[in-house]
Amino acid sequence: MLPAVRSRLCCARSRRGQRTLSLFSSSGPSNWNKVVSDAEKIVGYPTSFMSLRCLLSDELSNVAMHVRKLAGTQHPLLNTARGFVYDSRNNLQMRGLVVLLLSKAAGPSHQASSLLPQDMVSGIYPSQRNLAEITELIHTAFLVHRGIVDLKEWTLSDGPLKDMQFGNKMAVLSGDFLLANACTGLAQLNNTKVVELISSAIGDLVQGIYYENANNSEEKNLSSGVDVVAWEEQAFLSHGALLAKSCQAAMELAEHDKEAQRLAYKYGKHLSLGHNLNSDLQPFVKSSMTEPMLFSLTSAPVMFHRQLVGQERWHQQLQQAKTLRNQLDYSKLLAAVKSEKGVSSAVDLCCYHSNKALEAIQAFPSSEARSALENIASAITKF
Amino acid sequence: MAAPWWRLCRRWSTTCMSPGVFEAGRRSNGRSVWFGRASWSSGPRAQRQLSALQTQKTQDPLNLKSSVTRHKSRLLCPTLRSCSCRTAHSDAKLKDPFTLAQKDLTSLYDDIKKELFVSKEELKSLCDYYFDGKGKAIRPLIVVLMARALNIHSNKAGDLLPGQRAIAMISEMIHTASLVHDDVIDGSDKRRGKRTINEVWGERKAILAGDFILSAASMALARIGDIAVVKVLSQVIEDLVRGEFMQLGSKENENERFKHYLEKTFKKTASLIANSCKAVSILVNSDPDVHEIAYQYGKNVGIAFQLVDDVLDFTSGASQLGKPSAADLKLGLATGPVLFACQQFPELHAMIMRRFSSNGDVDRAWQYVLQSDGVQQTNYLAQRYCQEAIRQISQLQPSPERDALIRITEMVLTRDK
Repeated sequence: MLPAVRSRLCCARSRRGQRTLSLFSSSGPSNWNKVVSDAEKIVGYPTSFMSLRCLLSDELSNVAMHVRKLAGTQHPLLNTARGFVYDSRNNLQMRGLVVLLLSKAAGPSHQASSLLPQDMVSGIYPSQRNLAEITELIHTAFLVHRGIVDLKEWTLSDGPLKDMQFGNKMAVLSGDFLLANACTGLAQLNNTKVVELISSAIGDLVQGIYYENANNSEEKNLSSGVDVVAWEEQAFLSHGALLAKSCQAAMELAEHDKEAQRLAYKYGKHLSLGHNLNSDLQPFVKSSMTEPMLFSLTSAPVMFHRQLVGQERWHQQLQQAKTLRNQLDYSKLLAAVKSEKGVSSAVDLCCYHSNKALEAIQAFPSSEARSALENIASAITKF
Repeated sequence: MAAPWWRLCRRWSTTCMSPGVFEAGRRSNGRSVWFGRASWSSGPRAQRQLSALQTQKTQDPLNLKSSVTRHKSRLLCPTLRSCSCRTAHSDAKLKDPFTLAQKDLTSLYDDIKKELFVSKEELKSLCDYYFDGKGKAIRPLIVVLMARALNIHSNKAGDLLPGQRAIAMISEMIHTASLVHDDVIDGSDKRRGKRTINEVWGERKAILAGDFILSAASMALARIGDIAVVKVLSQVIEDLVRGEFMQLGSKENENERFKHYLEKTFKKTASLIANSCKAVSILVNSDPDVHEIAYQYGKNVGIAFQLVDDVLDFTSGASQLGKPSAADLKLGLATGPVLFACQQFPELHAMIMRRFSSNGDVDRAWQYVLQSDGVQQTNYLAQRYCQEAIRQISQLQPSPERDALIRITEMVLTRDK
């Protein structure tokens, strides 16, 4: 049955040909992929079956069928669906994987409790596996909701409005569907503290994405005073909070104490921030480029750069990078950023977060799972 | 709880009138039966029902005694009649449900706004947008009255439990979050006389605001600290989405279509009320039979509420504007009145299947509905659901709040907007 759904989703892909941008994959080097695939072996089977169940549900097959109609349009849902296919093949569900590795590294519960060691599979409690899946569901739901298009900003030259309305409808519904499944899955974990924690992570995620939107409009970029602290706050909300709180919740589910929960949270937080910096740095560190890579003007290296050179100089550089048609020449801007210390500052910050993450898991007993977590934390500083 | 609700409902309908709802509807082919066994009158049915509706509207809505008599005259089966009579005698002084619940609801919107804690100003104003005190807050009203009625039933006098108060608030939050998303899905630009969030701030932000309200509701829910309650209300969130998905498709087969419609109605509207009622019951009582009474009351009132809503889409505004909104038709949705009308006018079938997408479909369908007795039949069905709700709630110990819940079934049927 899975191939059936897959082929349906693939139909959407084939017509537009090559994928341009996947919201799912990180553009990381092959080193990263190796670290991840090694780690997946440690946790036994990588995921429980919740996302599979979602993928096979009538509702999502329905969406998949409708998404076909979007082929040839510009709606972002198309890219997200495409990424989903790629991703389930590559098993790049980083968040779920980290939750599972931490669960295994922390080991069985020390409290006398209802949790039985024999329930564990590959050293992980079933509830922790479900949590890992829920984390992925929530992450995916927001990838979908991120792709909602503002219809008033849509001009006819971009394509028919009807397509966008339809795409939005599908995106709202499928995102809501994934979130609803996450909600019922959470309730099944039988722990209201975990429900509260993960719900608050959803709230953080929303705020982060909302903030992300506000920062992406260019005019605001040019005027408002932005700095690295703001970047970090935003990166935490839109990427870090979910992983950090899921890691903490995994400890809570195994009845580990407050200190273990704090360390797990810390690992998740610093790992995501480091990973985020790594992604932001990709356009600036890749040497051989066939075409100039687009990058966000709010990505970490640019933020450092802007802080270093000051508002006035930054405006000048933006002006210089403008083409005749008043568009930005990104390769020119890239060179400008590279010529200063912005990139190396971002690399330093990336190393800092990597070290903080490593530091956090030293308290857990040495194990295969802990080594995998160390490898992942180290891999985010490799470019 | 164990059997799917529609099976229960079907069982109920077959016990109450010998041909089941669906079979009766089909066999009559729109001409007579439906409630043909009814002993309550003779003469041309449409006229009869219309006059019944008019009486309903002109009568003083605060006078329960007269309305119960009205109910009696409409009742089909003796069992329902008897329990309705019991209610009439149970309490002499009757209070308006709103007055009765007022003290529990005064801080509702302030409490909700406190839950929606967010530092960013713009997101905060989006989240607070519909919590302006102008909504009907019918869900919190029912939840609060149900909680008090159940507390008395369980011999726990005194104030509402904090958890029950929270459920009232959460029910309104979940409802609002789903409204915000529905408005994006339907492309609506007006709600409660205001521009919709998507109209003012765009679709992207509207969806995020809805998600945020939901996450805040989910946190408040978890803080009650009762996992059974969390499970019951998480089911609502799933039902809401599944109900929305059900609206995407149309069924070819007529019986299937009606079942599909009622199931969708349950999921989109009644599930929230039913499960909120169940949740306040769980918090005060350990008897599953009592939870079931609360759930069944909420389910039946909820379905009736939506059926009336679907009727109002055809009838309300007709007097002022000369034309109804027919918003559902424009969205391609075939609701109760259309489905009933289709039995009399098979021409509607093709229009339903193409979701009223051809030129002139909406107007033609509207004409067919008005020529048929689809509106009356839908109203009648809503009455049947309310009867069942009354039957259920009458199993609780008498209390002013219990009787107010009975009054609410009246208000559901007689509201005109």
